[in-house]
Amino acid sequence: MRFTKSLSLAAISASVFALLASAPMLATKHPKYGGTLRLELQIAKVSLDPREWKTGSVASAENARLAALVYDRLVTLDDYGRFQPALATEWSHDAPSKNWQFKLRPNVKFSDGSSLTAKDTVTALQSLLPPGLQISATENGITVRGTHPVPDLLEQLASGRYFVFRVQSDGSLLGTGPFLLAESSAATPSEANPSVLKPAHIKFRANEEAWAGRPFLDSIEVTLGDPALRQILNLQVGRADIVDIPPDLVRKARQDNLRVWSSPPATLLALRFDDAQPGASDPRLREALDLALDRETMANVLLQRQALPAPALLPQWLSGYAFLFGTPMNLDRAKQIRSTLPANVAAGSDPLRLRVDAVGDLMKLLGERVAVNARQANIAIQLVAHAAPSSMGAASPSPSTGVHLVAWHYDSLSPRTELLNLAHYLHSEFSADALPDTGDPEKLYCEERRLLGERQLLPLLLLPDYVGIAPSIRNWTVSPSGEWRLADVWLDSGEPAASDTETTPSRNPAPGVHP
Amino acid sequence: MSFRNKIFLIFLITVLASVSLVAYGVTHYTQLAFEQQDAQRTETLVAQFRKEIGQRGDMVVQQVENITNSEPTIHMAIDLARPNTDTSIFLHDANGAAQTYNLDLVEFVNSDGVLISSAQYQARVGYKNDWVTASKNWDGSRAFLKREELPDGVALSLTAVRTYSVGDKTLYIIGGRRLDENFLASLVVPNGMRALLYRNLESSFVPSSLTDASGPVAQADQFQPLIEQMQRQSQQQNVLVKTIQWNNDPASAETFHAIPLPGRNGELLGVLLLGSSGKELVLLKRQIFKIAALVALVAIAIGLLLAWWISKRITRPVEELANGARDVASGRWETHIDVQGNDEIGQLAGAFNHMTNTLAAQKEKLVQTERVAAWRELARRLAHELRNPLFPMQITLENLQRARQLGPAQFQEVFAEGTATLKAELANLNSIVGRFSDFSKMPAPQLARVNVNETLRNAVRLFEPQFTAVGKPAITTEFFLTESLPEIDADPDLLYRAFQNLVLNALDAMPAGGSLTLRTTDGVDTVRIEVSDTGKGLTPEECSRLFTPYYTTKHQGTGLGLAIVQSVISDHHGTISVSSEEGRGATFRIDLPKRQQNAAVKPKPAAPTAIEAERTAPAATD
Repeated sequence: MRFTKSLSLAAISASVFALLASAPMLATKHPKYGGTLRLELQIAKVSLDPREWKTGSVASAENARLAALVYDRLVTLDDYGRFQPALATEWSHDAPSKNWQFKLRPNVKFSDGSSLTAKDTVTALQSLLPPGLQISATENGITVRGTHPVPDLLEQLASGRYFVFRVQSDGSLLGTGPFLLAESSAATPSEANPSVLKPAHIKFRANEEAWAGRPFLDSIEVTLGDPALRQILNLQVGRADIVDIPPDLVRKARQDNLRVWSSPPATLLALRFDDAQPGASDPRLREALDLALDRETMANVLLQRQALPAPALLPQWLSGYAFLFGTPMNLDRAKQIRSTLPANVAAGSDPLRLRVDAVGDLMKLLGERVAVNARQANIAIQLVAHAAPSSMGAASPSPSTGVHLVAWHYDSLSPRTELLNLAHYLHSEFSADALPDTGDPEKLYCEERRLLGERQLLPLLLLPDYVGIAPSIRNWTVSPSGEWRLADVWLDSGEPAASDTETTPSRNPAPGVHP
Repeated sequence: MSFRNKIFLIFLITVLASVSLVAYGVTHYTQLAFEQQDAQRTETLVAQFRKEIGQRGDMVVQQVENITNSEPTIHMAIDLARPNTDTSIFLHDANGAAQTYNLDLVEFVNSDGVLISSAQYQARVGYKNDWVTASKNWDGSRAFLKREELPDGVALSLTAVRTYSVGDKTLYIIGGRRLDENFLASLVVPNGMRALLYRNLESSFVPSSLTDASGPVAQADQFQPLIEQMQRQSQQQNVLVKTIQWNNDPASAETFHAIPLPGRNGELLGVLLLGSSGKELVLLKRQIFKIAALVALVAIAIGLLLAWWISKRITRPVEELANGARDVASGRWETHIDVQGNDEIGQLAGAFNHMTNTLAAQKEKLVQTERVAAWRELARRLAHELRNPLFPMQITLENLQRARQLGPAQFQEVFAEGTATLKAELANLNSIVGRFSDFSKMPAPQLARVNVNETLRNAVRLFEPQFTAVGKPAITTEFFLTESLPEIDADPDLLYRAFQNLVLNALDAMPAGGSLTLRTTDGVDTVRIEVSDTGKGLTPEECSRLFTPYYTTKHQGTGLGLAIVQSVISDHHGTISVSSEEGRGATFRIDLPKRQQNAAVKPKPAAPTAIEAERTAPAATD
């Protein structure tokens, strides 16, 4: 009897164990609807209006990630680099790639239930497209005409700010995306300490009428402005599902067995010279400083191998030829060049002033390292505080600042467009006419080398984006443009998946096919 | 200055000098005592601060040893001993150690001297710290001051170094605390003092390197001489002292003790300045001065009152004595002083009273004696005067008795002659009686403004016929009269009569002729009249008795002339004196006051003329 009882207990225990052990597998295989995803970002403020975004700014990348929840693009890229229909189901262009026709997806509704029209698309994109591109509505779609060939129009439209939206009479924007903005609150002073701001909150709700189908999640709650360490702690204790992690904390996060996803290099850290300080305009000084910079140590020690030395303006994954550039550290040559300069240039009495425009302690540390490197070449650099957090595009040079440490986020999937944007940012005489219509890599390489030779911008490091992901997040995927596909994510309370590359049926149906 | 004022002044000066001396002494010795106390306190504090810095250094050493012996450090040392170790994994270890062990500065340096991790200057990671590998004897060493390179500049730190060796690989652990505002704020400084720190990290004086607990010091250039002096003698390790007065107010003065803070190799890396405010001392001195001044004022006030009271108490009997003496001088010999006490003043007062009593008794006796003498003299004179006419009358009566035996004619002749003689002698007797009657009836002066020169001339003019009478030796008159002589308050008739008697007296004194000189002179409050003759003069005894009534040197005189003169002069509050040498004449001097006190003065009457004077002339002759 007792033996029978023991056998029964053993059988039940074995059954329960087997059930528990198989749960993750079951959870991985079967998507779940419902739940609220808690997302925490370090930036204190976001804008969901693409018209306000500054090209190349780190903030615009964060904005684009959240805007992708609300808005859709005409086309997207899949994981293999193939263009997939989104709001546009078909597209074609003429031989020189000047005229593009897009056929819009029918029966797409905004979150208020109104239908998407070609006029809405034209209105939204016309305000975002660069000069030289004219967009107009056709019977069932839109036409884009360029004064110059635009061979990379699809790459542009699949990334960056090119979302389709409608501006309402009160100025708010409507989208056709998988989520809609439910509520938002700005940062408020803390009651205990008014100098400390309580984080801002944004809540997105699932769009039940989304053309691509309802997302698995019911809602997404976004908390803005929390410090990175607190975000990691929240992730550890289960109070957050997705957090962004600065590079200098990635190693710690990994040591704490957190699930960390990293993107390809998405941000360029660079030194931008400013002629406001007379000594900074000397090309020999720029060259000496360029040769004195120890990018390897910056990447491998200070950033603990969470960044790459930047040999060029564009990353390897974007241009394909970045390996051709080298990191030219040569301290002896730097000293030699420095010795040819007047003694009072960048000397102790009048040092070269470096302002760290990029936000964060890591950026300040890099600025200090630049100063230390420069001192080895007898170039005196003094760090000056930046007046306010600023993005790369919003950088307002101080009158007496000679160098800025800036961060440039790659918005576009087109190397040609990105190079153009950088040239525009540097006020270089770089012209779109100089670039090949077809985006010939060799010509792009030449133009980039020429741009580097001007030494208005000294590339330092390439930083990937790092995201901490809770074990409960399933089907975490990111588009090639860096946008998180949160509409495809579902929440599971089971054990973390072994891999992020689960084969899950996409919420997005087959190209051109509405579910 | 009166005796009372003198005593008052002496007492006041004595009080002032005493109070000033005491106030100065109290202020001076109090200041000295406080300065000594302040110096001792500062020396104690200097010693305490040296000890405090030493203790802070020991704490740093202890914390660095704790880091060295901690598990992460040992793991790091073991990892670094392995080949091809990725040192970037230790990047933040120094930060963690600094936070855990409450140090401002923590660095890890590997065997090659390469900085592995730095809490204070992460950007320097990868660079070499050769100074730390240059020494092999770090264990057991004490903390030392070090010039610290930081991202925002150069700082001063209290640093200690320890090592941990694994095989032939040594890990250097460097830890320290910044000597900055926080360090100064952590020092316990008494009230009225402050601690400043100068970081001597540049070759010349840099004002911004001087800080106190709240940041850079204002007017730091005031410290430049002191710092430069310290830089020049950095090897001597002496404490220098300098007082800085921040503005015109002495209370703003602050005394600074500069304590050198040398580095590991003896170089001057910092100067700790202990400032002791003089404000408290100055305020205390002021307070003492105020109190001393107040006490002095009160003492002076009390001294004034005491001086006034004591001087009054001391001088009152003296004043009474003086008043008594003055009364005695004025003739009130019966004056008596009422002074209490048996001191010298009381004895003096008693002696004075005894003296006045004696004088009064003697005066009374003298008066009585003089009165008896005067009566005797009067009786003698009266008998003499009466005997002169009585004798002829007796002779005449005897002749008349004898003539009854003569014939009628002869009797008639003798009778007529006899009756004539009797009439003459009876007239003579009547004249004598009249003169005595006049002397007894001297009237009181009726004051008026009188021209003395004119009165004197009129008096002389009356006797001019006698000066030049035929058959008599001539007498000449000489006038030396001051024409600007002011009019005086006097009775013109009495004055005229007095002058008449003097002129008549001079006339009688020159039976053989001579010269009569009359002189007037103006004094301060008086006028002087001098009448001089060139007669036979007077003996000293005669001079002393000359003004006694009924005393005369003449055979026919009554002795009342000069007595009348003296009476008139005395009634006018004047004085008369005579000077003479026998055989050379005599001079009478009269001093009359110009103004009579408390007397009614009538309008000026006409001076008596010689004719009027003759009518009113007394039987004035001596």
